[in-house]
Order: sequence, then C-alpha cells, then structure tokens
Amino acid sequence: MMNSDSSLSIKDSTYAVSTVVKSIMTDFRISRPNFFSTPKKGENYELRADLNSEYRDRRKDAIKKVIANMTVGKDVSGLFPDVLKNMQTDDLEQKKLVYLYLMNYAKTQPELVILAVNTFVKDTDDSNPLIRSLAIRTMGCIRVEKIIDYLCEPLRKCLRDENPYVRKTAAICVAKLYDLSPNLAIDNGFVSTLQDMVSDANPMVVANAVTALAEINETSSTKDIFIINAPTLTKLLVALNECTEWGRIAILAALAEYKPADSKEAEHIVERVVPQFQHVNGSVVLSAIKVIMIYMRSIKNDEAIRQLVRKMAPPLVTLLASAPEVQYVALRNINIILQKRPEILANEMRVFFCKYNDPPYVKLEKLEIMIKLANERNIDQLLSELKEYASEVDVDFVRKSVRAIGQCAIKISEASERCVNVLLDLINTKVNYVVQEAIVVIKDIFRKYPHKYEGIIPTLCQNLDALDEPEAKASLIWIIGEYAERIENADELILTFLDTFHDENFQVQLQLVTASVKLFLKKPQSAQNIVQRSLQIATSECDNPDIRDRAYIYWRLLSTDPQAAKAVVLSDKPPISVQSNAISSSLLEELISNISTLASVYHKPPETFLGRGRFGADAVQRRAIEEQEEASRESPIQAQTKTNIENLLDLDFSDTNTVNSTTSSLPSSSKSITQPTANVDDLLDLFNDNTITSTQSSSNIQNNSVSNDLVNLF
Amino acid sequence: MGGYFSRLLARLWGEKEVRILILGLDGAGKTTILYRLQIGEVVTTIPTIGFNVETVTYKNIKFQVWDLGGENHYSPYWRCYYANTDAVIYVVDSIDRDRLSTSKEELHAMLDEEELREAALLVFANKQDMVGALTSAEVSDALGLSTLKNRQWSIYKTSAVKGDGLTEGLDW
Repeated sequence: MMNSDSSLSIKDSTYAVSTVVKSIMTDFRISRPNFFSTPKKGENYELRADLNSEYRDRRKDAIKKVIANMTVGKDVSGLFPDVLKNMQTDDLEQKKLVYLYLMNYAKTQPELVILAVNTFVKDTDDSNPLIRSLAIRTMGCIRVEKIIDYLCEPLRKCLRDENPYVRKTAAICVAKLYDLSPNLAIDNGFVSTLQDMVSDANPMVVANAVTALAEINETSSTKDIFIINAPTLTKLLVALNECTEWGRIAILAALAEYKPADSKEAEHIVERVVPQFQHVNGSVVLSAIKVIMIYMRSIKNDEAIRQLVRKMAPPLVTLLASAPEVQYVALRNINIILQKRPEILANEMRVFFCKYNDPPYVKLEKLEIMIKLANERNIDQLLSELKEYASEVDVDFVRKSVRAIGQCAIKISEASERCVNVLLDLINTKVNYVVQEAIVVIKDIFRKYPHKYEGIIPTLCQNLDALDEPEAKASLIWIIGEYAERIENADELILTFLDTFHDENFQVQLQLVTASVKLFLKKPQSAQNIVQRSLQIATSECDNPDIRDRAYIYWRLLSTDPQAAKAVVLSDKPPISVQSNAISSSLLEELISNISTLASVYHKPPETFLGRGRFGADAVQRRAIEEQEEASRESPIQAQTKTNIENLLDLDFSDTNTVNSTTSSLPSSSKSITQPTANVDDLLDLFNDNTITSTQSSSNIQNNSVSNDLVNLF
Repeated sequence: MGGYFSRLLARLWGEKEVRILILGLDGAGKTTILYRLQIGEVVTTIPTIGFNVETVTYKNIKFQVWDLGGENHYSPYWRCYYANTDAVIYVVDSIDRDRLSTSKEELHAMLDEEELREAALLVFANKQDMVGALTSAEVSDALGLSTLKNRQWSIYKTSAVKGDGLTEGLDW
C-alpha cells in the first residue's frame, strides 16, 4: 500500500514546496508516505538501482562507488541489503569490497546481518584458503550478538583448517569472539583449541595463538588461561626466530610474563632472545631488551650479565638512527634502562649529542640522557658540547642546556670548576635569558659547594639590572643574603629591591625577606633599618599569607633571641644532589616490565592512564550517555533541553508545531547552560590540582583563593 | 563510433542476466532445486540462513538464481530482493498438507508487492517422489492460483531429488 502511494507522491514532488506543505495539512493520506518511503532521487537511489542491475560490471562499479562514499564519510548504510546481495560472487575483488562494507555497517543493521550468514558458511568451505580466511576474519569483525551463534561452526572448521593462513586468522577470531561472549568461546572449546595451537607446526599460527591467548588472559577474570610451561616455552623459542615482526613482539611479550625457574633457564632463554637485537623493527628490539632486562633479575652469573650489558648497547644506539618519533620513544626507554643499569651506554655519550635538525622533544630527551651518562672522563667533551648548545636560537633548549651544565657541576665535583668557568663565559655573552638561567644554576652550585666560588659574585652582581625573571632574581637575592659578609654593597642592593617590593613576584618577595634577615644577622649595625623596613612591608602591606607568616616568625625570633635566630637562619644547609627526575626503585622495576609500551614513554605505571576496565568504543559511548544523564540530573533545565533534543531526533511529524517552538529556543538555552557548567568543571579541576601540588609555594594558594571565589560565584 | 564499441564490449562481457527468485516455506527444497539446476547434482543442504545465489546457464540464457532462506522469521527480508526480478519460482512441499494454507498466504502477500508486478510466477509442486504427494492440480487449487489476475503463471510437478520436471519448468 505504501509503495503504491509513494508513486503518486512522485508527482507531488514536482510542485513547489509550499504546495507540498499545504498538502501535509489537507491531504494527510497521500502526503504521509513522502516522509517515510525511501527517497526517489539522489545518489543513494541511483546506487541502489545500479546495485540491483542486471549487468555484472555495473553492479561492481556501484559497489566501488559505495565504498568510495563510505571512505569519505558519507552515510551509505541505507544500501545495506542491496550491497549484501552482491556478496556471493566468484569475483574476489568484489567479495573483498562487500566484506569491507559489511564490517563497517553491520552495527547499523544488526537485523539484516543474518542475511549474510549463509554466504559466510559457504565461503568458509571454499576451496581457496584466501577466501576461507577472509570470511572468517570478516565474521570476527562483525560484532553483532545475533550472528555469533552461527559463527561457531565455521570457526571450529577453520581452527582445524589444513592451511596455516586460515588457522592463524581463526586464532585471532577466537579472541574477538571471547571479547563478545566469553562463555560461548569457552563452552565451544575454542579457548582450549587455542591453547593447543601454541604447539602448532607453523610459527605464524603460534604467534597469533599467543597474541589471542594473551589478549584473552588479560580480560579473563581468572587470569589462568595462558600459562607458559616447559613444552610451550620451547615451542615459543623455536617460533620466535621464524615468524613475522608482529609475531615476534607477541612472543616476546609472552616471554616477558614468564618466570624462569632458575638462573640457568633464564640464561638459556636470554641466549635465544639476544639474536632479536638484529631485527630492523624497533619494537622487536625494544621488546627483546625488555625481556632481557626482566630476566637479568634472575640471572645470578655476573659474567653473563656483563656480556649481556655489552650486547645491549649496539641495538640501543642503532635505534637512535631512526625517525625522530621512534628516537623519542627509544630515548624515553633508554632513560629508564640507564637508571637501572647505567653501565650499558657508559661509553656511548657521543651518539646522544644533539644534531642541529633534531626536533626539540628529541633534543631535550638527549640532554637528560647526557647528564645521566656524564662522568669524569667525558665531562670535557660534554661541556664543550653544552656550551655550543647554549648559543643556539631555541630559547627553551638553551635554558635546558645551561641547566644541564649546572647539573654536571653538581654531579661531578672534580669538574665543577670547569663548569663554573663555562657558566661565567656564558654570562659574559650578556644574552639575557642565558645570564638569568646561569644565575639560577650557579645558586645551586653554591648550595653544593659552599664558600668555594665566591670570587664570581661580583660578576653576578654586575648583571643585576638585566634580571627580569622572578626565579633568576630570587636566586641572586639568595646569593646576596648568603654571602652578605663578602659583598660590600649588599645593603644597597637589598635596598634597591625593597623599593619595588610590591611589584615583585612572591618568590622574590620571600627571598628578599630572608635575605634582609641574613644581612641583619651578619651586619647588625648597618642593616637594622633594612630588616625593619622589609619586615614591616611584609607583615602589614603584603596579602600573601606565606610571606606574612614568614616575616612574623623572623620578627618574633629576632625580638626574643637573636642568637637562636642566627642558629636557625644561618644554619648549615643539607647538601643537594642532582635533581634529575629520578624514579623510585619500585616504579622503576614496574616501568622496566613495561618497556616498549606507552607506560615507558610516559614514565608512569599503566594503571594511572588506563582505565581499570578496557575502554572500547561501546564503553566510551556508554560513558558519554551516563555523563549526560548525570548532568541532566544536576540541572533540571538541562534535562528539559535534553528532552527537546530527543524530540528532534524522533522527528515525529504529528506535533510539528511544538518541535518548531522548541528548536527556536534550543540553541540559546543549551549554550547558556552547558557553558557555565563546563567552566565550573574546569575550575574544580584546577582547584583539585592545586590542593595536591601546593606544598610550599604560595602562588598556588593565591590561585586557590581565586578559584575558590570563582567556585563560590557559581 | 564509440557507442558502437561500447555496445560491442557490453555484448562481450556485460551479458544481461535474467533474475529469478526461488521462494517458498522452509524445507520445501529450494536450495536443493538451485544446485540441481546449477551443477545437476543433489547436495546435502542445511537450512539456509540468508541466501544463496548462483548463475545458471540454460539454453544460452544466463539466469541469476536467488535462493532465499524460507524460515518464518526471514520472509520479511524477502522484500529486499524483489527489485528487478523477472520471475519467481515458488516451491511448495506437496506432502506438507498442513502448511499449504500458510504457503498460500505467503505467496499472495508476495505477489501483492509493487516490485513484483511484472514478474512471472512458476510454481513447483516439489517432492513428487514421495508417497502421498498432492498432484499439481490439487496444489494449484490449494494455493488459489486460478484467482490470480494480470499474472503469467504456471505450475509443474517436480522432484528436486530425482531432477524431474525442473527443465520443463524452465522451458516454460
């Protein structure tokens, strides 16, 4: 009935739009199918006609067009049954195209996917192994509950196929089935078949079985699905040398999970893994290094470890010859490896020198590693290199280089003098940011080697006017306070700073208060005025609680017992060491177990950035819906707009008027509601962050109070 | 000139196919008929979930023969295949008297479809090799074929297992 009516409506569509609108009101019976029948014009309609054509080549062209539309993002899901009809064909190319389409759109038409089942069953019986595996792969990719029951029989057949290519494809398919329905996969014996397949004669099948089992093991609740024992271990080691790079990575990952029984076994496995260092694929190399780093824990033989360490250097160096992105990953991993075993690359400092065309992220990583590798023997080379870097144009890199010089000085006491000389040279260049960074670094050197390099203080003070960054200023003021007795015009210098106290950053203000107190304790006569003034300003005119409180404490100390004040303020400070971002040993062990994963690049354990469960597309979508619901619970008005949106989506033409009225109000209201909530969220985040990080710095507290106010505002 | 070549090419490769649907209730023998037509052998079939399609060449005409799954809940999907169909072969299980009325309903519902208005109808009263099978006249009555208007139709008694009557049907 509907169809015969729609043929009438074709004539209607030739009328002007207004007539059509009128006909909606007047003749409901005829015009209604206008909305519900498929459109009679447009590209999809033509494609549909072609897909059903009597001519084979025209049908194939139409399929190609459909796929092309699909890849550029046009929705062609409406053609599902028509494309599906072309699935049974002897033309392999056409079959592949239809399968591709099917994988993409099966989700949108779960009801109709069942029409494809018979073809799948037939194709898995095909004489061509390529078609068999293509069919089983596509079946695995179709994640529709309705057809998984039909999937079992063909899968069982393919798991025992005589062709290894089909078997390896089927192995992965088991993991996909398990993800969709664990019970089905276990009840049908697929998982146990998979366990048997680890002993398959073909290394590719072994590799894929391992991949699938590892995946299943990770999602399973019991974690007992994939356990390596002695026979499987031998199989894995044999397969390791014969399979593709992906297979090798999978097998290496499985080996990393294995706990060797004793030092002997560990040595044996390591011996078989070492040849993987030669592989071109960086991921294989890193995985092999991971396995060896893990097994080294259980190797007791020192000589063997020494040899391994020697063998590990060349592959790591080779990784640095690859693309910048790979280099970065390699460098992040090397960073971890060096913290565990610094001896590995001790003689390879040279390869970490930055090239002029390295991207900044690689340069910065290299700098960190160079500092880690620095020792008495290579320090001269390193210093001249760093000095070179300090004259480059990239400000950020220059600063880091200057900082690196300071870190070298602190790390290697024998070389500190040379480092200070280099820094002095750099200060003499008078390049603003270099000077500032150098002063910050020199402050640290003074902390480490007190009373050793006082001779350079005058040079530093000459650059007083050039300083405009708070950190550099604070550093210089700290130096002035610390060595007040050696600097003749210390009081003058402090005074000039005091004049602009209000304009300074809180960091500088804190140092000023402390420095003036030190100055007073060292030169009581001349500095009495200064200390009074600075404490006065800090306590009465400053609204930062940190500064005010510190000033109060100094004041109380000075007024009650100047001797005690001296003991407190001028006490010996604990020595500092290189504050490179060292990782705690437990975290380091965990990261070593995760070498060549994202965790080793982030330098964070996987749990911190991965959700507890696994997030597929479904989970993300569900999450989004939950969030939306939560938000709607919070504000009733938003719930209102949400229902409006739902109304719009329903496209219920019976109440066109109400929908129209809501659409007009919708854009403005939804915008005005979502925006503030987003802001509040941001601010709440900010607030949380701040409470965590505000350990001693009061800037955070300042920010806190600001964000507090803002939060209250909403 | 170009048109001439393209016509020539079309004749060489782009042979026109005649589209035939094989429909009927489940278990009537559609898939068996299809493979009997195509390869001349009896194949063991399992209930078709979805469809089979094969190209059958008979007397120099290429038939694209579609065999659609017959189980109840798939018959709504038949609709997807109606477009451009030249003929429908409706297969009836001649010994299943109880479901003849269901078969009749499905047939008439199908013939009411707009897209099948031009299609010819060929009814196979299948399973004639079995004892107690209805004759073609009886099946014709039970399906109410005589009430059909504006339709070319014909009925043959066939046995897919033995291969009787199939070619006669196609000859028609």
